[in-house]
Amino acid sequence: MGRRRWVPARAALVVAAAILLQITLVSDLRIAGAVGDVALVVVVAAGITGGPDRGVAYGFAVGLAFDLVVDSPFGLTVLTYALVGYGTGLASAALQRTGGWLPVAVAGVAGVVHTALFTGLGNLVGVDYPFAEVPSVALAVGVVGAVLVLPAVHVLWWVHGAPEPDRLELMLR
Amino acid sequence: MALSPPSGSRTRVAVLVLASVTLLAMGLRDVPVVRDARSAAARVVDPVEGVVGTVTDPVRDAWHGVTDYDEVRRENDRLRERLAGVDSARIARSDAERQLAELSASLELPFAGDSPQVTARVVSGPRSNFSHAIEIDKGTDDGIAVGMPVVTGGGLVGRVDQATADSARVEVLSDPEFRVGVRLATTGALGTARGQGDDEPLVVDSSISPSTKVPRGTGVVTSGVDRSAFPPGVPVGTVAATRKGPGGLALELDVQPLADVDQLSYVTVLQWRAG
Repeated sequence: MGRRRWVPARAALVVAAAILLQITLVSDLRIAGAVGDVALVVVVAAGITGGPDRGVAYGFAVGLAFDLVVDSPFGLTVLTYALVGYGTGLASAALQRTGGWLPVAVAGVAGVVHTALFTGLGNLVGVDYPFAEVPSVALAVGVVGAVLVLPAVHVLWWVHGAPEPDRLELMLR
Repeated sequence: MALSPPSGSRTRVAVLVLASVTLLAMGLRDVPVVRDARSAAARVVDPVEGVVGTVTDPVRDAWHGVTDYDEVRRENDRLRERLAGVDSARIARSDAERQLAELSASLELPFAGDSPQVTARVVSGPRSNFSHAIEIDKGTDDGIAVGMPVVTGGGLVGRVDQATADSARVEVLSDPEFRVGVRLATTGALGTARGQGDDEPLVVDSSISPSTKVPRGTGVVTSGVDRSAFPPGVPVGTVAATRKGPGGLALELDVQPLADVDQLSYVTVLQWRAG
């Protein structure tokens, strides 16, 4: 009961820290001309640790906070993060595990999917985001996501509590 | 480690996705509440960003120490600035010659240099992928307002997109949403230039006949036509390539911007307002 009371505060702290880290540091560390996306890593980790429900909720909240400080059309990051958070949660739930290298692979794929989604939806609503930039951006976002997702999963466990091993997993051990 | 099972709250998911779509619709219409929220966020985040930035500076410096050759970069900056200054002077001269030839000496044209100016330091670059905005350390307290043109010695950089009391965000001309009315410095032919992203030339949709030859290197300046968002005669770039536009009825020009928006340290805001 005591832990649950602190979940919103911890979640807000994590979201604020991710946004600040993104705009003060990561946005200046270029890989192949593009930058990673720490805020997206938090969304992906939320989907991995909490399923589609938590993934979409974090996607919405992180996207809303991020949209306030960037110059892309307001709401575009909210929508794409929410969809990626939901998709990550669904994929993780379908695969029935969060251990091993799976989160790394999921985060890498999520980075690529998010880049494609952001560019595609952006163009759909009238912003001429150049598709030529998609490969380098997808590479940077995917690589940074894959590198940071495991620490991010632990941060999300700190926020929400680590799940107990389920009966099936205990039987398999 | 096992996954905690999804709660299956499809309604919640649907509501959040619908809310996201609604926010996007509001954002696209640029409703005042969105602008106010972003200004409020900038007032909160900008000072914090400055403080956190001083903490993260060593990491950033270490990264650039690994990825950049500092001396080559400094040399590049110096040469680029010198070259931009030369190009800018040449374009300004050819534009003035054209005006002198075409117009009587009594015709008075507004000139960007007459506008009061505010010099500002660039404090941060784009905050995310596909972003083309920079932050400067001067705001409304220094007389800066949304819509004001931003230049360097090289030429046009962009326009103030958002301003708080002590900072402002500048939409730079590589942004795909950026539009500026331009004309060729040699002939005065009009067009509209738009950004195409990082390290890409501007594309100018012109009214020039496809049979007309426009030499590479021809200067392009802001048109300053009636109700233009920019004063006339501000150097924008030089023609890098030409081709037939969609439909083949007019020329489309690639224009290499004079100002290198990736290498800015200081910019000048012209306190000029559209008439």
